[in-house]
Amino acid sequence: MTHMTQTNTERSTDNPLKAATRFVGAENLSLIIALIILVALIASQTPFFFAPRNLMNIGMNLAVVGLLSVGMTMVIVSGALDISVGSIAGVASVVSAIFVTYVGTVWGGIFMGILAGALLGVVNAAIISYLRVNAVVATLATLSAYRGLAFLVAPEGRPIGVLDQNFAFLGSGRVFESGGFPGIPVAMLLLIVIAVIGHFVMSSTVFGRSIYSMGGNPIAARLAGINLTRMKFYIFTISGALAGLTGVLVTARTSSGQPSSGTQGLELEAITAVFLGGAILAGGKGTIVGTMLAVVLLATLSNGMNLLNIPTFYQLVAKGFLLVVAVAIGQWRMARAERAQARAAAAG
Amino acid sequence: MTMTDTPILEIRGVGKAFPNVRALANLAFDVKRGEVVAFVGENGAGKSTLLKILSGDYRLDEGTVLLDGQEVSHVGPLEARRAGFRLVRQEPEIVPHISAAENIFVGELPQKRGIIDFSQLRSDARALLQECGFAGLIDPEAMGDTLSPAQKHVVEIARALKPGVKVIAFDEPTSSLTADETERLFTLIRALRQRGLGVIYVTHRLHEVMEISDRIVVLRDGRLVGIKETASVTPDEIIRMMVGRDLSYGFSRSETTRSEVVLEVTNLTSRYHRDISFKIHAGEILGFAGLVGAGRTELAKVIFGDLHKRSGDVRIMGELTRIKSPSDAIRASIGFAPEDRKGEGLILVRSVIENASMAVFSRLSRWGVLRSKMMVDTVAPLIASLEIKTPSLEQEVGKLSGGNQQKVVLARWLAAKPKVLILDEPTRAVDVGAKAEIYRLIDNLAKSGIAIMLISSEMPELLALADRIVVMQGGLLSAPIEKSEASEERILNVALGQQAA
Repeated sequence: MTHMTQTNTERSTDNPLKAATRFVGAENLSLIIALIILVALIASQTPFFFAPRNLMNIGMNLAVVGLLSVGMTMVIVSGALDISVGSIAGVASVVSAIFVTYVGTVWGGIFMGILAGALLGVVNAAIISYLRVNAVVATLATLSAYRGLAFLVAPEGRPIGVLDQNFAFLGSGRVFESGGFPGIPVAMLLLIVIAVIGHFVMSSTVFGRSIYSMGGNPIAARLAGINLTRMKFYIFTISGALAGLTGVLVTARTSSGQPSSGTQGLELEAITAVFLGGAILAGGKGTIVGTMLAVVLLATLSNGMNLLNIPTFYQLVAKGFLLVVAVAIGQWRMARAERAQARAAAAG
Repeated sequence: MTMTDTPILEIRGVGKAFPNVRALANLAFDVKRGEVVAFVGENGAGKSTLLKILSGDYRLDEGTVLLDGQEVSHVGPLEARRAGFRLVRQEPEIVPHISAAENIFVGELPQKRGIIDFSQLRSDARALLQECGFAGLIDPEAMGDTLSPAQKHVVEIARALKPGVKVIAFDEPTSSLTADETERLFTLIRALRQRGLGVIYVTHRLHEVMEISDRIVVLRDGRLVGIKETASVTPDEIIRMMVGRDLSYGFSRSETTRSEVVLEVTNLTSRYHRDISFKIHAGEILGFAGLVGAGRTELAKVIFGDLHKRSGDVRIMGELTRIKSPSDAIRASIGFAPEDRKGEGLILVRSVIENASMAVFSRLSRWGVLRSKMMVDTVAPLIASLEIKTPSLEQEVGKLSGGNQQKVVLARWLAAKPKVLILDEPTRAVDVGAKAEIYRLIDNLAKSGIAIMLISSEMPELLALADRIVVMQGGLLSAPIEKSEASEERILNVALGQQAA
């Protein structure tokens, strides 16, 4: 046990940097540093970055991916993957547009969009739990199916215009606007609320801690009395509902129910954010805080590339590259931890 | 004994350091042809590190290793293998969806014009298994994932015995073997000794060391404590050398008086069992002996609701239970510490406190929100009373030693305050010192009135702890044998007697 006492003494004598690292976590600290470097880099190349209008833009873009990423964090920590969320958002976008435009109810539109998302999440969970289809395959199938569904639901398969101003406020409105302060986008505020709730659920509730347990070792979790089937239903339903809310937001921002554009590829960005935020593919690790930092980092990067006029095609390549980097970092960390474990075991 | 005196393996001044830890220092000894050398020492004494240096998994920092006169100090795993050093790993890597025969010859499958020659493969595998004396134990055609732990071990042994072997090392070979299979292994080892191979035998089980080895190398904290001729030492002397202090090998439990029945199982039938009935009283430890694969683990899982029960009743304190899932079982005050600690017991990437409290999350929360103070108040005293060595409650469980990991599993069930506790091989891969401690803990649990169902393949463990012992064979359960009448021979007789019937 000698090495353990050593760790103990190390802990008590560490310097402020180490203390800070422990407080935010080494992974989150590296994300913050990366963000600072990135911001410095972009700001040095273009004066527009710090323009209030641009920051606002980042905030709005961030909200869309951020909402999906909260649900995706739960899914990935539980040891699964949900790649159908972009398509779910598409369906929800159309559904909310139909209710706002044809029924004339803003709250109804919001509610029905979220409900549609939740129901599609339930379908995902049912396929995974009862048909025993691997989560990646199941949601790959529904990614396609739900995309089609979105077009089927939209009259003639076309985007539905939404003219309601109150509804549009949700997507592009600002609050706390005063004098020089441009205010905070409503969508951003919504994300903050959801992320705070998500963080609380993941870190402090029985449900959240059970997600970590089932992701870390499903058999051990089951033998400790955690009902895995029920957990999967809850997790995929929440992921679906948040995707639904994302779809509503997309409708509000673009003033139209979008079966496809505006939601396609969102799953890739959310998954990248979660892995970049410190989650691992095997499950059991990852935090909402880490994910949110990664979301900010990715939104900043994407904005920077736009400001610097980097063509979209390059941006797509960069996004794919980033996902690989994010997962590779996670794998490298795990391998390092395993080696440390083996050493500890060998040394007793 | 036909022992020529030339060493086949020479270890000269070998040392290895890891960051913060000196794993091995200045080791020197040799293994002669036709000799069985046992390595003993507590977990962390350096046995595994030494094996991994010999197998080429680790590079040594100082010293030299000679194998049959040839220097192999700085070789990789493949070269070590080619040079003639073969390691039979404790947890063999078995490819699940290919046959046992393919698993044995993986990497060197017999080929004919670039196509695998399956009939050659089958006959090679048969011949090799015949040679090892394990012919009847395993079907070469069986798929990797259908093999029992013991059969996987046989595959691993067969792999090691492919041509070119000069020194073979067994790392805890019997942890998944039954008494009968262990006997076959010993027959094999004696045959290997006869052939003039050098044999290294690493185990925590001293009685095996006394039975099979010629010399014993005792390690402590990475240093050589001594080398003894097996014939001239007693187990107690060896233990004293290992731990550096006196420790009673035999643990004896005080007699208990039998009170009310806590767990009563009647006519339980499942896919794996027929008509199982038994009772466990408050404060009683009922030992479950039997061969690996006899259905003991499955019985535990049926009672715990993780496997399906076809018929039969489980009563707790006389009350009929309806257990359909582990959470039902936990509600009915049953706890279950599974055999495969890492695979089924613990969430290695999560903290001590989470692992210890996960079975009682709902009890430690209000409106679904966990109350961290209550969690600490529940877990911290258990960590203290079980003497779990961890730097903090937030420590990842994967970073603890085997004995401490097992205690975290126990802490989880103590937190749940069960009336019935099912322990499946509670001291598997736990070192001698920690073992005695876990025995003491189990004894204390029983004293506190918990009915304990103890599944163990270590006969001395059952004899030391259990008040009564039942033997399981082929899904059937024997009548209980009282502690006073129980002996290793008697239990084996019951197991084999049933086998014959």
